[in-house]
Amino acid sequence: MALPLPLGLTHSEVAFVAEMELVTVVPRQRLESIDLLSGKTPPLRPPHRADLPLWLALLLKKQRRANIVPPPWLYPASLADIVHRETKVHPHAFSEPMPTASRARQSQPGYAGRIGGGDSSEVILSPPFRSNCTSAAPAGYLPYHWLEVAEALITYASDDLGGNTSEIRGLLRDLVEVRAAKMRDSAETLGAEGQGGVVSLRGVGAMELAENRGFVLGVVDGVRKIGGAVETARREKEEEMDLGGGDGGRGGYGGDGDSDDDMGI
Amino acid sequence: MDIDDILREVDPTFHAVPQEKRNLQELTRAWIAERSAPELLPWPADGLFERVNDSIKRQIEKVEEMTGDMDPKTNFALIVIQTELERFKYLVRSYVRARISKIDRHTLHYLSTDALRARLSEMELAYATRHQALLHNHYLSSFLSSFPSALQNINDSAGINMVETPDLESAVFIRLLKDTLVEGRGVDSDGAMDGRESDIVILRWADAKTLVENGSAELV
Repeated sequence: MALPLPLGLTHSEVAFVAEMELVTVVPRQRLESIDLLSGKTPPLRPPHRADLPLWLALLLKKQRRANIVPPPWLYPASLADIVHRETKVHPHAFSEPMPTASRARQSQPGYAGRIGGGDSSEVILSPPFRSNCTSAAPAGYLPYHWLEVAEALITYASDDLGGNTSEIRGLLRDLVEVRAAKMRDSAETLGAEGQGGVVSLRGVGAMELAENRGFVLGVVDGVRKIGGAVETARREKEEEMDLGGGDGGRGGYGGDGDSDDDMGI
Repeated sequence: MDIDDILREVDPTFHAVPQEKRNLQELTRAWIAERSAPELLPWPADGLFERVNDSIKRQIEKVEEMTGDMDPKTNFALIVIQTELERFKYLVRSYVRARISKIDRHTLHYLSTDALRARLSEMELAYATRHQALLHNHYLSSFLSSFPSALQNINDSAGINMVETPDLESAVFIRLLKDTLVEGRGVDSDGAMDGRESDIVILRWADAKTLVENGSAELV
């Protein structure tokens, strides 16, 4: 086998991706800029802060060459605020994802646009490349890789968290539990009528997706296979009704044949 | 270079994403997509992997040069460079392996039409063709030759198609990169949703495909 892994990122792959998140460090030693494949690192001059990818920050931390500045959303006050919102304010939805950084648009003075999303020639950045875990990130939101980054900082940089490690750990555990319950509840929506095959999980985190991918996708695919005959019949009926006007819409998908075969067994 | 380029260079408010970071973003996105999509995706046409492989090669040469001097200061830089190099190599390797495992599973399918063959890189096409030829010869010498000639085809598409295809209807997770309308097909009804940027949506791959291809969404 070329790759003995199931479709979708596994936990360790998600953790690998999360290590690309930028975090802010306060260097304790000078270090010249290093010419890396992902670009030059900023030269480190104590006590000036610099943003580095998490894997490099952890390496510096282990060698006592730098301290990590925890992102504002990881402070107990911010976490408690999110727990409150997740349990009391929106008990059925994940809290909002981190807002996209924007800047003044040069072509249209007075308007602001997303960084990296202004014109089509530029690549749109998505997590982990969005600086959601630096000291400049806003408090009160969870970034996409919240659990992985928080876990790494608690494990390797607990002395930089201001001595609140146990409080932070407790709040994180609350968040994990309340959000896992929401993820399980979403299974009801997944199988429900009238969803039209599109379900939004806005605000979900990477590790939560990896954890539930098999279950959630299994439910969706299972419902599709069980309802395969019903769906084909409905589509044929709609096509007959449409035949008078238009081209019959989105009838001809290659995969429809598969579900027919499944039902024939 | 015209006057706009010159102005942009000296303008501190212009933060274009540097090429290196863009490469890493695109490489990561391509890898996650290939790991999550139920079918083989097109090999990136803009030379992304050629660029990445060249820079990996250059970096390896630099490591070899740097290993010579044992100054403790450059020594630490060397560790950092090598760590990062391994991370890049892992990404490229995992991407290629994910593709090969898909090609292995549905070789005949990906070789069947020109449109599907165009998704493979030159090397992958050579691999798939040769692998299939070897396999076919082996089947022929071990059992197919004793079948009646009418039953010797292994890609018979009369009646039920013998060529297995990936299930394009299986569900995937996508993240929207722009505000866009998301249309999906369900069992009881077809639906649409006004998606906002950063939404994570579950839907069938066949419905998600156009969004991913035109850059409005990425697989997660």
